[in-house]
Amino acid sequence: MEYGEIKIPKQMISKIEARLEETGFESVDKYVTFVLEEVIKEVEDEEPEEVFSEEDEEKVKGRLRALGYLD
Amino acid sequence: MITVLAIDALEYTLVEKFDCNNLKQKYYGKTNISEFSEPRTMVLWSSFMTGKNMEKEILAKGDKDMWNTKLDIKDTFFDQFENPKIIDLPGFSYITDQHDQERKLLKEFFDAQSEEEKGQVRVDYNNLAFEHHRKIKEEFIDVLEADHDFILGYFSVADVIGHLNFGNRTMMKMIYKDLDEIAGSMKNQFIVLSDHGMEQIGIFGDHSNYGFWSTDFKDLGNPGITDFAKIIKEMR
Ligand SMILES: [Zn+2]
Repeated sequence: MEYGEIKIPKQMISKIEARLEETGFESVDKYVTFVLEEVIKEVEDEEPEEVFSEEDEEKVKGRLRALGYLD
Repeated sequence: MITVLAIDALEYTLVEKFDCNNLKQKYYGKTNISEFSEPRTMVLWSSFMTGKNMEKEILAKGDKDMWNTKLDIKDTFFDQFENPKIIDLPGFSYITDQHDQERKLLKEFFDAQSEEEKGQVRVDYNNLAFEHHRKIKEEFIDVLEADHDFILGYFSVADVIGHLNFGNRTMMKMIYKDLDEIAGSMKNQFIVLSDHGMEQIGIFGDHSNYGFWSTDFKDLGNPGITDFAKIIKEMR
């Protein structure tokens, strides 16, 4: 794959660097590429994200207990 | 040298969906774990390394103590190698402090009364899992350069994060892409193996009743997790 350069505000780079800690990415470049891919895809196919529900929570709690996670 | 990427809860359908070509290698498929009553992590990895169904033995320990299982190398296929390195594998070299802490936070999440509190616990839980993942990844990459005839790296991130975030597609994709990159950096022959996959319950994740495997040398069909001890011995 060939790479090019883009310019983004330094302030944003610092922000992303701080966020890296909470992700599996090693570099700002990789993180930015991922985010852009995701945004483009989202615009293209608008897949809704799941939200929290108490019913799901009860169900998964029971399953996790059966699997030995919640002794 | 033979290497195993042991990835907890790597889900077949997500490997496909996210095009993780390095994880797929040339041949890939699902493992058959239907002989087990439930897809329990400790039972499955113990059965993998001994080459026999360990369900009864592990369950006899009870839900609390089963996580402390430490099998003798003589009871595993690892002793067929001269200088094996097994990183963080449940039932063998599991870093129990870390994983106890994860389960403690998981419990805290369900015990939390408000959504706000749950949100905070989830952040702590995710950070703990990601931090551990980065450490394991670093250790694994270092170990690949050392003089071992067998290396197994166990990656728990997809399971741990998945339990509370499986419905968060972006977060899961991020993890799968990272795991795919680890597979892409491998220079020698390797097997990818998961104990079970994961299925969605809203935002949460439950274990699915099949695992994932891949190799670049042979179509293994629909193997049992206990078949890998023999498969790996024969690769030597
Ligand atoms: Zn799990």
